Amino acid sequence: MSFIKRAVLYCLRQRFKTIILFLVLTIIAAFILTGIAVRDAAKGATADVRTAVGGKIILDIDMEGHMGGSEQYEWGTAYTYNGDQITQEIVEAIKKVEGVADYNVEEAESYFGAGVNFKYLPAAFDLSYTPYGESSSYTVTLSTEKCRAFQSGKYKLIAGRHITADDKYTCLISKELAEYNKLSVEDKIKMYSLDSDSIAEFKIVGIFDGAEGISGEAYTISDIPANMGYIDYAGWQDIFKDMGDTDFYQQLTIFVEDPLGIQNVYNKISALPEIKGKTLKLSIDTDEYDIVSAPLDSLEKLVNTTIIIISAVSVVILTLLLTIQIRGRKKEIGILLSIGKSKANIILQLFAETFAVTVISFAASIPLSNLTAERAGAFLASRVTTGTANINVRIDAAYLLPLYIIGILLITTAVIASSWTVVRSKPKDILAKMS
Amino acid sequence: MSIIKTCNVKYSYEENKTVLKNVSAEFETGKIYAIVGPSGCGKTTLLSLLGGLDSPSGGQILFKGEDIEKNGLARHRQNNVSFIFQNYNLIDYMTPIENVTLTSKLQPLPILERLGLTKEEAKRNVLKLSGGQQQRVAIARALASDAGVILADEPTGNLDEDTAIEIAAILKECAHQMNKCVIIVTHSNDLANQADVILKLRKGELQAANTRDTSIN
Repeated sequence: MSFIKRAVLYCLRQRFKTIILFLVLTIIAAFILTGIAVRDAAKGATADVRTAVGGKIILDIDMEGHMGGSEQYEWGTAYTYNGDQITQEIVEAIKKVEGVADYNVEEAESYFGAGVNFKYLPAAFDLSYTPYGESSSYTVTLSTEKCRAFQSGKYKLIAGRHITADDKYTCLISKELAEYNKLSVEDKIKMYSLDSDSIAEFKIVGIFDGAEGISGEAYTISDIPANMGYIDYAGWQDIFKDMGDTDFYQQLTIFVEDPLGIQNVYNKISALPEIKGKTLKLSIDTDEYDIVSAPLDSLEKLVNTTIIIISAVSVVILTLLLTIQIRGRKKEIGILLSIGKSKANIILQLFAETFAVTVISFAASIPLSNLTAERAGAFLASRVTTGTANINVRIDAAYLLPLYIIGILLITTAVIASSWTVVRSKPKDILAKMS
Repeated sequence: MSIIKTCNVKYSYEENKTVLKNVSAEFETGKIYAIVGPSGCGKTTLLSLLGGLDSPSGGQILFKGEDIEKNGLARHRQNNVSFIFQNYNLIDYMTPIENVTLTSKLQPLPILERLGLTKEEAKRNVLKLSGGQQQRVAIARALASDAGVILADEPTGNLDEDTAIEIAAILKECAHQMNKCVIIVTHSNDLANQADVILKLRKGELQAANTRDTSIN
């Protein structure tokens, strides 16, 4: 009778022992599968972050030493930048550089507007220096989706859509400001700009959350984050078109395809003739990516360690269980040795029994793993501030391959360790103890 | 001609505790041998050495003139000898048919039926059989292996008188009709008296061999 047939007979006839082994292996498999799923989810989230946040290169105008003539106003002195500007020609040249994924303009505090048909959230002091009350600052941008606060997950769009480069006279406001004025998407707000001395109407295209509401400690309206919003670049250009050339940017955010290759892209942009020798500053900014991906890296490392610990503990538990079961089978082993079965043949039978149960229990562990993976994923995700990254833990059929590889290693180790003391005994000693 | 023989076999454990001293004996096919002697004289040890369950401390055991250690003891146990134990030593989660199949690819049912088991009994779990029936299964397993030598350690030790007589008759049949070499270790005078040759062991030494001419019987 072959060792496989003996193994099958043992599994079928010793049902109670087989069921115990089945349950233990199912639990072990569920833990390992959960670990693999969480680790892959963390990897996936990191990849998503890399795509979403990416690495950034910032192109700035270099104001140092390039501030020209001054003009005296009643509120102070204003200096004018007389260096090179970031022109459309430069933008077009940058777009063609290999490795550049996209670009954005994000100029904070470039527009100050006082509410004509709405009110800002109040602060301790009301500095009403315009006919419409105090102004709050707006970030002028080509795309709010690519702005730092949205990329890092600090702000989340909760209604409507983002501002895009095709928009003109659109804005994004905070949830708190919208609620305070009972405003919603598609409503229009009017703002007065002291700088242009004009009123402009903006359509609310989106409302965002995360501005941390009304700050009781704010002295002025513009100190309250919820009063600050976003407006599109085209509208801003139109407002200030009569005040000089507005067809250039003060800062350009360049997104690269892979943050790991950012230095290479940086070098290529630096070498562009459109930039070389101009009073512009180029710098690498991976802070956003580092901040967002660091917790995911930690999670991945934590899960890897957990998988190793689970595997080690599983070997110990499995070895103990098999040792108990094999000690109860000394007589059988003695009989098999006495009829001339080799030690290798007996170990193969023990392995085949465990393997047969393993195959079934690992497959059966999938539904259980789905439950544990969901909960473990939710628990771990709640411990990680991922910003834009979503940790989506799910059990994939592809995980069965690494699971079976780990499983075979586990049961091989456990079977050898547990059967070693019995199988290495002399058959005479085993049989003598039996009688 | 002997099928198996011991040449000056010694066995000791823990250095100075000697169990067997220079035991030399020859065993032929077609005969039953009974090894008798007081408890602790080395009977079971001698049987274990003949069966390759252990190695002697000195001397040799030859099967058909070849040292049994040459091709490995496991192979010797698999091909040359088969055991019958006092406590039957059947695998308890198997049926008689499956226990017999452990050692052979022969059809087990005819062998079991020949030894008195019904078809139904042959398909039951061995633990549901009586002691005598279990010993018959053990004998069937030994016969099915086609080994030339059957080594029986107190084969009737756990059986009632009537069953013991039946088992003794089967063992005699194995030797005389199937031409096996049957070596029995026993305390039972009745069983020993069925043997063709009685070997007496005392304090690890072979003292005497009483021979009967089996061909007359």
